[in-house]
Amino acid sequence: MTAQPNVFTMDTTQIDIIPIEGELNVGPQHPGSGHMRIYVKLNGDIMEKAELDVGYVHRSVEKLAEVRNYMHLIPLVERPAILDSIHMNLGYILALEKIMGVDVPDRAQYLRSLAAEINRIASHLYGTGILAVFIGHSTGFMWGFGDREVWVEVLQALTGARVTNSYIVPGGVRRDLTPAIKEMIEKAIRYQRKRIPEWKRIFLNNPNIRARLENVGVMSKEQAIAWGAVGPNLRGSGVYYDVRKFEPYAAYDRLDFEIPVYKEGDAYARVHVRFDEIEESIKIIEQIIKEIPQGNILSDRFFKQIPPTRLKKHYETHGKIVFPGYYASFRPPKGEAISRVEAARGELVFYLNSDGSPKPYRLRMITPSYRTIYVFEQLAKGARYADLVAIYGSLDYFPPEADR
Amino acid sequence: MMDILQDIKYVIFYPSFFVMIIFPGLLVGGLFILFVIWFERKIAARVQMRVGPYYVSRFGGIAQLLADAIRVALQEIIIPAGVNPTLYVIAPIFPLLFAFLPLAFLPIGVIPEQGSVFSAYYRSFFDPSVGMGVIAALPTEYSLIAVLAVEAAYPIFIILQAWATNNRFALVGAVREAYLSVAYDVLILMSVIAIAVEYHTLDVAEVVQSGIPGIVANPLAAFVFFVGLIMATSRFPFEIVEAESELVTGPATEYSGLLFLFSMGGSYFGTYVYALYFAAVFLGGWYPLSGFPGAVILFLKAAIIVLFSVFLRSVYGRYRIDQALRNSWRLLLPVALASIVLGIVGGWLWIR
Repeated sequence: MTAQPNVFTMDTTQIDIIPIEGELNVGPQHPGSGHMRIYVKLNGDIMEKAELDVGYVHRSVEKLAEVRNYMHLIPLVERPAILDSIHMNLGYILALEKIMGVDVPDRAQYLRSLAAEINRIASHLYGTGILAVFIGHSTGFMWGFGDREVWVEVLQALTGARVTNSYIVPGGVRRDLTPAIKEMIEKAIRYQRKRIPEWKRIFLNNPNIRARLENVGVMSKEQAIAWGAVGPNLRGSGVYYDVRKFEPYAAYDRLDFEIPVYKEGDAYARVHVRFDEIEESIKIIEQIIKEIPQGNILSDRFFKQIPPTRLKKHYETHGKIVFPGYYASFRPPKGEAISRVEAARGELVFYLNSDGSPKPYRLRMITPSYRTIYVFEQLAKGARYADLVAIYGSLDYFPPEADR
Repeated sequence: MMDILQDIKYVIFYPSFFVMIIFPGLLVGGLFILFVIWFERKIAARVQMRVGPYYVSRFGGIAQLLADAIRVALQEIIIPAGVNPTLYVIAPIFPLLFAFLPLAFLPIGVIPEQGSVFSAYYRSFFDPSVGMGVIAALPTEYSLIAVLAVEAAYPIFIILQAWATNNRFALVGAVREAYLSVAYDVLILMSVIAIAVEYHTLDVAEVVQSGIPGIVANPLAAFVFFVGLIMATSRFPFEIVEAESELVTGPATEYSGLLFLFSMGGSYFGTYVYALYFAAVFLGGWYPLSGFPGAVILFLKAAIIVLFSVFLRSVYGRYRIDQALRNSWRLLLPVALASIVLGIVGGWLWIR
């Protein structure tokens, strides 16, 4: 009897937290998990640990790359992120071109930037849509996918496919920009410009959305660097870094654009970075449309190999490249190359090692989502269970891209 | 022959039967809920640049919901291994029942002595506090409280349902429901107490017959009750218990087929009954009409409330449980207290 604590002398200002521990298997068959399992250890409503069990949609891209021709690899490397396929394609081709020593004509460089920026807008809208439905905002979900449709249609007109475009080939691009596509892009820009204020009204400035995103998943500048965050997540934490500025590829050194940076580091800042990037991308696209130089879209070295009859039939009438026979199974010289591009979700690295055979000796791709895994686990630690999806969506983590 | 028809008419329009089974109870209520779900999908589609249900039936795919309901109802009911089958099967029936039962106490109109189809029951359903008969399944002078008392059992059965399914997502949902139910029940009760104090009565019929809608007499109470209604029936932005991206479907995660229909129907029926109550207490109910036309007016007002509450889906996301609790205890509770003070002042100075 004497061992019982006296309730009257107890400090009543301190709330007693009774630990209620348990594990939740979020996924892989779960509306909020994507293609993977998140193993969540809960203590009450607080997540003690969230372990990302990646590999559910692993497709062995790197290993398959060792048994395929260089050209056949283009559709394969796009597969990890089909909604960001231009960047996947571009990164691979940049590494390959470094080994082959090809110089790309100016017009093709501009077209690469054009396709990449269109893809960036589409991808950001997709990511915002997923974030919206994760925090229960179905209108944001539908608007994100609806607006993305406009840009996907533009990509289809330009490249011939909505996703997995395989647009960029060694030495240039496959199709030329026609006046009809130009007009379509201008229309899409007008539409997106009109839509952004509406987005801000219903999504970004919605008090409910702000409550869910502000001060959630806060990542400081130091943490972002230490954890290896990339892309919009890094810039949302106040780090000024963008491969397009620091190591320009395609036509980015000739284009004028800003890098949006927010210093708050929370989920709301990351969403803002994406929206500002959409606006910047629109600016880039406008410049490209205006300034794109005339010329060939394929390096002379390959262009000369196309038979004149086929050139006349396809290139001169439709602006389409017919692949020269060289592409079927070419052998690049021995060597290795690394390429970096700023994909929609962040820095994408390709490492390519050639031993002189028609197949790469080794292909290594480090995708932005792969870099996000650790960030995700760190941010989820100590957050509330309902914030799991808010962090997930705001990081724009895409499991297939991480799994490769 | 005429006698039989008269007898049938007497039975059908007998308020206890009529209110619960025909209007605004099971039959009309059930059809209305199908309409509400159709409306929810259609209005959300309109906001979201979609079309929504389209192909089934000529008029905007309205029969889509009937088709969906039939499909879900005929789906196989899967009983997971490791649950108590009896509890598992009966658990989702209770929320539906207790969402619906409060209707028994709610007067949906008054019966004049002559001239109404209900006048035959004037004496048996006489309510001394308003001096008229009331159309209610179970006329009581304490209807203001009785409705809430029965409705308050609803969350208990949601928790039972989650417990019976033995699923972790369901359990997390049940804990959320337990926390939330305390918060919203307090809000709803306090706003109703404010009304009771202001009108010096516990009878919904008397509140309506006073001629002053509650929203005019006590706007604070109306606001608090409406937010409580949204929370209680887990509509957006308080769709926290079922939170799809976090908890699959919360307590209903394991259910399929007819049982899933029951557990979902419970939430919609709850919204409907709460809306009827809100329309009666705060929106002037059937006043100044009586009999069946009055009941239709009440139904239409409630319909607007239900349709508005489902429309919120296309505007808001969902709050976190701690945010919802913090808001309801820290922001809305003082408003509820203020509404009681307003009720005391109003009841003292204005409404006699």
